[in-house]
Amino acid sequence: MVKRVEFSGDHLDVLRELMNIAVGNATASIADLLKAFGTMHIPNITISDIKGLKQYIQETIPSQSSHYVTKQLFGGPLGGEFIFVITDEAAINLGNHLYDVDAPNDADIYDAVIELTNILSATMISRLTEELNVKVQFFVPSTQIIKGNDLIYLEETLLYSQIIIISTQMEFQNQNINGHIFILTKDAMIQSLKDLIDQKLEELYA
Amino acid sequence: MTKPVEYPNVLLDALEHGVMIVDEEFNIVYWNQWLEINTGHPYSSVMGKSLLTFYPEIDYRTLQRKIRTTLRLNSPTFYDASLNNRFIPIPRNKITSSLLNTMQLQVTISPYIIDQGMVMIAVYDISDLHELKLTLQKQMKKIAHLNNELQHDKQIIDDNLLIVKTDGEFHITEVSKAFNAFFGFKQNELIGCPLQIIYSDKTPLTEYTLMQKTLQNLERWNGEIEIISKQSEPLWMDAVVTPWIESGGFLSSYTAIYHDITDKKRLEILATTDPLTKLFNRYKFDEIFNIMLMREHWNADNSFAIVMADIDHFKQINDLYGHQRGDEVLVQIAEVLRETLREGDTLARWGGEEFIFLLPYVDVHRAALVADKLRVAVEKLNLFVKVQLSFGVSLFVAGDTQETLLNRADAALYKAKKNGRNRVELL
Repeated sequence: MVKRVEFSGDHLDVLRELMNIAVGNATASIADLLKAFGTMHIPNITISDIKGLKQYIQETIPSQSSHYVTKQLFGGPLGGEFIFVITDEAAINLGNHLYDVDAPNDADIYDAVIELTNILSATMISRLTEELNVKVQFFVPSTQIIKGNDLIYLEETLLYSQIIIISTQMEFQNQNINGHIFILTKDAMIQSLKDLIDQKLEELYA
Repeated sequence: MTKPVEYPNVLLDALEHGVMIVDEEFNIVYWNQWLEINTGHPYSSVMGKSLLTFYPEIDYRTLQRKIRTTLRLNSPTFYDASLNNRFIPIPRNKITSSLLNTMQLQVTISPYIIDQGMVMIAVYDISDLHELKLTLQKQMKKIAHLNNELQHDKQIIDDNLLIVKTDGEFHITEVSKAFNAFFGFKQNELIGCPLQIIYSDKTPLTEYTLMQKTLQNLERWNGEIEIISKQSEPLWMDAVVTPWIESGGFLSSYTAIYHDITDKKRLEILATTDPLTKLFNRYKFDEIFNIMLMREHWNADNSFAIVMADIDHFKQINDLYGHQRGDEVLVQIAEVLRETLREGDTLARWGGEEFIFLLPYVDVHRAALVADKLRVAVEKLNLFVKVQLSFGVSLFVAGDTQETLLNRADAALYKAKKNGRNRVELL
């Protein structure tokens, strides 16, 4: 049985603050690299189990659209999974914006979604891990189109007892692009995150 | 003097994937041995030149953006490996499959020397994996197509065939739309009910026994059965019941397919029934007799008997009261005989005032007892005239034919008449 890691209010406050910085970074990077100017919401941080995650995603992502779902793993002292979800309509707009064509083909759209995910994961995770003084390794992302919002295969994830969900939303109104971001980490990684935040707290209050 | 080894280059040349180092203008700074061999462009010819010189067709705007992202964020960027390769084309030498003529590449652009604007581009050959994915996609498409066809066929079957599925205990689990519509049941009305609920209680118990025995032997049963509709209308069906055996050899369910033969059955009843007494006629009896002769290996303890019966002094009844009253006697006697018989016994009008019985699963004593019970039942009849029957019983023994058995029963009947009538004789 995996022991539950208890997060105090202080831990959550620090994590929330770090994520605010990360989100700010991501917005700036997208403006710089993709010439798209927009906003990102203040991240919501929830500790849940896998069923709670499924429910959370179903409540957050509309069930009536098709979505490009890109998943990217990251490893190191703080490891987990980064998920970027964008409706097919927004993905076409993104392909349109990045490839500067009226009707981007499938490959353009997939690659555009990967590019945006790269920027989001690199800025948000790198910033978070940088603040926590640890290194991170990114793995090759993969994208698939999913009808509706069934992003989680319960039978494959039952072993995860505790998950931290960090979620936010990005909106680039001029380009009509918006998407949802989920950063998930589980079990031993949650303990590791707590230890890293403890160190950060010690630094701050030393 | 030994030349010092340049470790990074040796290391990069030893890799089982391609590595190049380029700047933001795509000028090649390093090109490892894997690339030399697989692209056909030697290190010496590409060094210091732009990638554009050798590969003008790739999308440099995207590549530039990815390089810029890598450098600005100090973090790797990737091409989507699930798509057809969008980076440099590298020929592939696979002969046994022609799905991919150039390598499917997984491309990772990593920061190298950021202040000099240099990145390292690593290319991994993932063609086999991609080929598998393409094959799988092809198969999935085929399966989806077959599945559609199957759904279509299933729909046709559901709409047109009368099908009932049960579990191993004969409890109904599925009923086709056509079955519900034909018999007037609502959807799901029969689910969970025992299969027997839809069968007429006129179906002989022996027929059920035979059906269950056949199915328990995991064999298919085929026969005719009467089903009662929701509106209580009896309808005759030709039924095929098939046991479903799982791969482990155990029985999981039964599927029954029915075909309406009510009209055929009505004609058949007309052709096989005596119009006056509504008993089987001689033609039908012969048919059952033949089946019985072939059906089982009979022995002395478990055989079948033929019983012939004749109304005593019936001619006098006709002469005294007329043929119409005589016919009434025949009908009354037929009814009491039918009511007295055991389930599974067969009764027919043999001709004039003669009746014939086929009693399965009896020994000689049991056959005589049944005949006597019939005799007593007729004797007790309260008609306008006193009626009695004489009986001749013969038991099937090995070597008997229809003719020998009938001859013995006839001789026994003659003996009963000769010995004073209203009695049972055995031969």
